[in-house]
Amino acid sequence: MDAFRVIEIKQSVYADNNAEADRLRGEMKNSKTFLLNLMSSPGSGKTTFLKRTIGELKNDLKIAVLEADIDSDVDARAVAEAGAEAVQLHTGGMCHLTAGMTRQGTETLDSENIDLVVIENIGNLICPAEFDTGAAANVMILSVPEGDDKPLKYPNMFSVCDVLLINKIDVQPYFDFNVDLCTERVRKLNPDIRIFTLSGKTGEGFSPWIQWLKNAVREWQVSDRIQENALMKTRH
Amino acid sequence: MHELGLMAEIVDKIEAVAKENNVTEIETLVLDVGEYSGVVPEYVEECYPAVIEGTLLEKTALKINVIPGKARCENCGTGFAVKGNENCCPRCGSQKCKVIEGGEFVIKEIVAR
Ligand SMILES: Nc1nc2c(ncn2[C@@H]2O[C@H](COP(=O)(O)OP(=O)(O)O)[C@@H](O)[C@H]2O)c(=O)[nH]1
Ligand SMILES: [Mg+2]
Ligand SMILES: [Zn+2]
Repeated sequence: MDAFRVIEIKQSVYADNNAEADRLRGEMKNSKTFLLNLMSSPGSGKTTFLKRTIGELKNDLKIAVLEADIDSDVDARAVAEAGAEAVQLHTGGMCHLTAGMTRQGTETLDSENIDLVVIENIGNLICPAEFDTGAAANVMILSVPEGDDKPLKYPNMFSVCDVLLINKIDVQPYFDFNVDLCTERVRKLNPDIRIFTLSGKTGEGFSPWIQWLKNAVREWQVSDRIQENALMKTRH
Repeated sequence: MHELGLMAEIVDKIEAVAKENNVTEIETLVLDVGEYSGVVPEYVEECYPAVIEGTLLEKTALKINVIPGKARCENCGTGFAVKGNENCCPRCGSQKCKVIEGGEFVIKEIVAR
């Protein structure tokens, strides 16, 4: 019988997903569709925030939402009522969305006519940080009740995002959340991140965010280059 | 906690590699797991017996090399261990640092015949 030998493989486990993500990003660029990956813990206010964002933009942009919340169509219905096309993705208890699963959602949309697609990713601050969905930008929500120490506990998530939204700022008086301290902790991990403080419930702090999003979508649609986002920079 | 799904993918990949190389027996599977890869070695070990059941890897031992986090300062070029330095250059104090090692999750090799 043959002797045992070493067969070198040296392949990143993330390589296939990264390649699929790059392919999807290229297609989205061609159809001038800005794909935004929204990540957070469960209950941080993603759906409430999305409904308000859609309401503010629906006269300017054609919007769709890919809803990946664990096997329920409640959220999809809520965003549809707010004025966006909604697609429920059935992720079967997965803890993150892959580029392949994202594609299943975008393929059901008429991308040529859609300006902005938001992925409401699965509520989790760990796993989604490791998987490029093919999005143009990665945005996370941290809500005030979750605490300002989350950047210390989930450094990867804060490192891969282009934008941090500190949400539920309306309840800040009732919590010991320190926005300056949180900002300092986040910037240590990710010096280039954009930070907005706002409330999906009251609308406080929304206009700078809406302005940023409008600009980001416009830039994506007019430039022919794909700028490397924060997640792409940390990919392995 | 995506270790289970990833391990199932790895097993599929290894079975394909085995076929390509006319391998009938795999003694060891070696993985490189970075300290900051988001993958927890204990979880990988925990789900391993379940994912290899009924596959070519059923009798294959699993070896995990944990790769420590290393960063490089983009200001002065110093390389340093991530642990204990909190993404801050120990030489010049700059916070413009890039993690250069320790983020990987790689199938390194198999020992087979
Ligand atoms: N005080 C306050 N509560 C909010 C805000 N946004 C959402 N909530 C509440 O937080 C809970 C979870 O919100 P939801 O949008 O469903 O979060 P999701 O699970 O991330 O989609 C609900 O009870 C919302 O009413 C906010 O800006 N301020
Ligand atoms: Mg929701
Ligand atoms: Zn330095």
